[in-house]
Amino acid sequence: MEKYSSGICTFREIIWMNSDFYSRKVFSLFDITILIQETIAIGFPDTYWIKAEMNKLNHYPHSGHCYPDLVEKRDGKVIAQMRANLWRDDYHRINDLFTKIVKEPLKNGIKILFLAQVTFRPEYGLALRIIDIDPSFTLGDIEKEKQETLRRLKQKGIYDRNRELQMPLLPQRIAIISVETSNGYADFLQVLQGAKESWGYHFFHMLFPSVLQGEQAVEQIIFRLNQIRQVIRHFDVVAIIRGGGGDVGLSCYNHYDLAEAVACFPIPVLTGIGHSTNETVVEMVACENAITPTKLAEFLIQKFHNVSVPLQKAEETMHDMAIEVLDQSKEQFLSEVKLFRSVAIGLLSGNNHLIRAQAQALSTHTKLLISKAESDVELRHEGMKKEAVEVVSRAKMKLENYQKSISILDPVNTLKRGYSITRLNGKTIRSSDEAKKGDQISTSVFDGRIFSIVDKTDKMK
Amino acid sequence: MTMSEKINYTKAFEELQQIVEEMEQGEITVDELSDKVKRATQLIKICKTKLRSTEEDVNKILRELQSSDDDR
Repeated sequence: MEKYSSGICTFREIIWMNSDFYSRKVFSLFDITILIQETIAIGFPDTYWIKAEMNKLNHYPHSGHCYPDLVEKRDGKVIAQMRANLWRDDYHRINDLFTKIVKEPLKNGIKILFLAQVTFRPEYGLALRIIDIDPSFTLGDIEKEKQETLRRLKQKGIYDRNRELQMPLLPQRIAIISVETSNGYADFLQVLQGAKESWGYHFFHMLFPSVLQGEQAVEQIIFRLNQIRQVIRHFDVVAIIRGGGGDVGLSCYNHYDLAEAVACFPIPVLTGIGHSTNETVVEMVACENAITPTKLAEFLIQKFHNVSVPLQKAEETMHDMAIEVLDQSKEQFLSEVKLFRSVAIGLLSGNNHLIRAQAQALSTHTKLLISKAESDVELRHEGMKKEAVEVVSRAKMKLENYQKSISILDPVNTLKRGYSITRLNGKTIRSSDEAKKGDQISTSVFDGRIFSIVDKTDKMK
Repeated sequence: MTMSEKINYTKAFEELQQIVEEMEQGEITVDELSDKVKRATQLIKICKTKLRSTEEDVNKILRELQSSDDDR
């Protein structure tokens, strides 16, 4: 290629190019293309069912025709490719049926099973003319992609990640991924606005605009999710809202990348995509899915109700209970007071009675004691008197006895009876030994003394 | 405690529920009653205020988005 593009040929080459210029059979381009056309018409007389990936649909709105690029890949490498024609009328017929069944229009990047005729036109070249497309094949393929997405999410263990996030008690700050002009977005905001007017519920919402269906949706929604992630502390939930778009163009919600981004999002993702077909994977992995944007807004309002109603009730309960507790306590207190009073009175009167009885007993006993003491004293007095006389008489008798004994002992009485006392020098002589001849002795008798001199002493044997 | 205290909505609500439950089960004495009612009223106020207001400012968020874009 480089050689020709350089535009410079050697002399030898010029000679060679011209050597058999006139001896060759030369076709015009048209001739040769006619020949090819005939050959192909003979070689491929029938129509064929072919399966391929439609890399590009290449729909030209002006003419209404499509020129799809068809490829077959193996291990990610293109092993065959061919251009196709889908003429306007065929396109409309096929696309209508296809959209009705697959819920997606014909678009880039889908696998199709189509009926085609191999055509060759001199002016356009080789192409497959698509006569019909079997939508069920694509449907199966889309379902397969959905199943594959689900399988991968589950295998990675992220399928339940967003679903298991706790919905905030008050999902108040909403990051909305939607289109400003979409009916769904308008419905959603209208319901929230209604909640503000009816109940004073205040939502904060901010729109992160994105295409919501078709091929670009995957990339755009993921981009918006990443943006929200940067300001995530301002939001409680993310709501993906789409409405009024019918059931077409939703296969983006089965795309693995988008499903993963939603499943792994750190705050609850809510979906209100609004369609009647089977749930898409994104809706399945979202924390909460509502069938329409309106229902989603109602769900959020319900969350507010769930809080507001108990609040209201708490207020009432608080009031009622406080009064009840006070009343109860008051009643209890009053009944305690009553009880106390009656018990106190009972106690007092009982004690009063007792005291009176005691006083009575006391006075009775006192009187008794006194009278007893008096009689005792009386008795004692009598006894004492008797006793005193006795004591005196006894003493008298004793005294008389003593007197008698004493008088018996008086020596005078002895002397009177004829006894005498002999003394020598004043000393009483009791033995004959005490006096000797010549001693002057005195003998005392009852009425005087006799003086004598001892003649002799004699000792009795 | 004042109205301006920074109490998480969920926490406020939970505390409120607990007080109401205690009251309903008659576990509150007259001694506590006044304090509890005062606290509960405060919590109700906080919750209600939150229901009816948000402090988010769109411009602030947009500025943050802008600056995080600039960082990249």
